[in-house]
Formats: sequence, C-alpha cells, structure tokens
Amino acid sequence: MEVDNIFGAIDIAISGLRAQNKQMEVITSNIANSKTTDAGKGEPYRRLELKFKTEDDKISGVGLDKITADRSNFYRIYDPSNPAADEQGYVAMPNVSLIREMTNLNLATRAYQANAAIMRRYQQMVETALELLR
Amino acid sequence: MSKTSNTIDLLGAGIRAEELRQKAIANNVANMGTVGYRRFDVKFEQLLAKAIDSKGRVDLAEIEPFLYQPRRGPVKANGNDVSLEEEVGAMVKNTLRHKAYLRILNKKYEQIERAISTSK
Repeated sequence: MEVDNIFGAIDIAISGLRAQNKQMEVITSNIANSKTTDAGKGEPYRRLELKFKTEDDKISGVGLDKITADRSNFYRIYDPSNPAADEQGYVAMPNVSLIREMTNLNLATRAYQANAAIMRRYQQMVETALELLR
Repeated sequence: MSKTSNTIDLLGAGIRAEELRQKAIANNVANMGTVGYRRFDVKFEQLLAKAIDSKGRVDLAEIEPFLYQPRRGPVKANGNDVSLEEEVGAMVKNTLRHKAYLRILNKKYEQIERAISTSK
C-alpha cells in the first residue's frame, strides 16, 4: 500500500485497524476451537497465527501476509473415557493456550484503540489547520 | 457550465463530488452484510487533476464525479468486500475535505463582499 497524500496518516491508521480486526478474528477462532479434538484431518485443531507485513523502504501501512498454523506440539491430557483417547487413555488437544490467546486479544484491542486514537488525533490536526481559514 | 477555472465553480464541483461520495459510503455501510456486494467509490479528484495538468483551463462540464467499484479489497466469505474501518476512514477524509472546501468558499465570498463594501 502506497501513501502519498495529506490523508496518508488516515490510510495508515485504517490499515492498522483492519489488521487488528483480522487479528481479533484469528484469536476468536483459536479460542472457539480450544477444545476441538477433530479438525477434519484426523488431528486436533491447530492454533492459527496471523502474520503482518510491510514494505520496509517507505512509509506504508501494515498489510496482511498470511495465516499460518502453529506447528508446536498438541497438549495431551489423560481422559480414558473420551472416545478419541488412544490405548494409553490420552487425548490430543489443540495447541491453544487460553492465557496466551487472552493476552493477544488484549494486545489486539489496545492496538486497535491506538490506531483509532491516531485517526482521531490526525482529524483534529487537520481541523486545527482548517481553523486558520476562518 | 461554461469553460472556466473559476475558484467558486471548482469548489462547487468538489462539494458535489463529496456529496455523492457520502451517499456511496452510506450505501456501503448499509450493505455491509449483503451477500456479493462490492463497495462503491467516487472518482473525481484524479480526473480533475488530470484535466488541470493537460489543459490549464478546465471545462467542468466535461468532468463529472462518477460511481465505480474498485474491486480490490479482500473479499469476505459471502462475496462482500466492505470493511467498516475503511468506510469510517473514507467518511473522515470526506468530512475534512468538505470542511476545507466550505471554508475556502466562505473566504472567497468574504473577499467579494469586501470588494463590494469598499466601493460604498
């Protein structure tokens, strides 16, 4: 995304808002599926992670790269009565840690607020400039 | 409209474009959940800039703000590409531009008024 006009700051803030909105979607999916033992491929749900990207040599907003699966190990809990349990009575659970997701959710919310604050502040700046025209 | 690069006419054209854009944004927000809806935007400033660059004098009758669908945002699962954040941003920009145009228009009228009152 290229920015080159006086509303560039607003465009950048919007890209931040959209990125954090997507991030929140990913976190929601992780939390909703924190106990999903069957994700269709014979294994539990894998935690998803959203990657952001930007062009490093110029001022530009944040862009979405891709959503990748977290390859870390699944949690194994002992629950012999569970139909999905193996011979030893262990069930593989998604590699989602609710504490981690809640922390990320807080971060995403704060980042969203920060971008919204920037947008409001920039709007006030332009309005200050426009006051000079009175 | 006659061939002109009159400030007041230019500002008038800008304000009309803004009005249309405001409608487009309202329509986009209203259709945020409509399946298959693609967002609308208004093309005007680029056309105006191009016309000013090429001729110096601008025939405003030739440049009309028009609605188009950019069709480049990420599309959601229901085929809809409206994002609330983008619309809010567009609205903020639109409002600021509108304010700027109105202030300049006001200044212009003040100038004319001053010219008239000094002759008294």
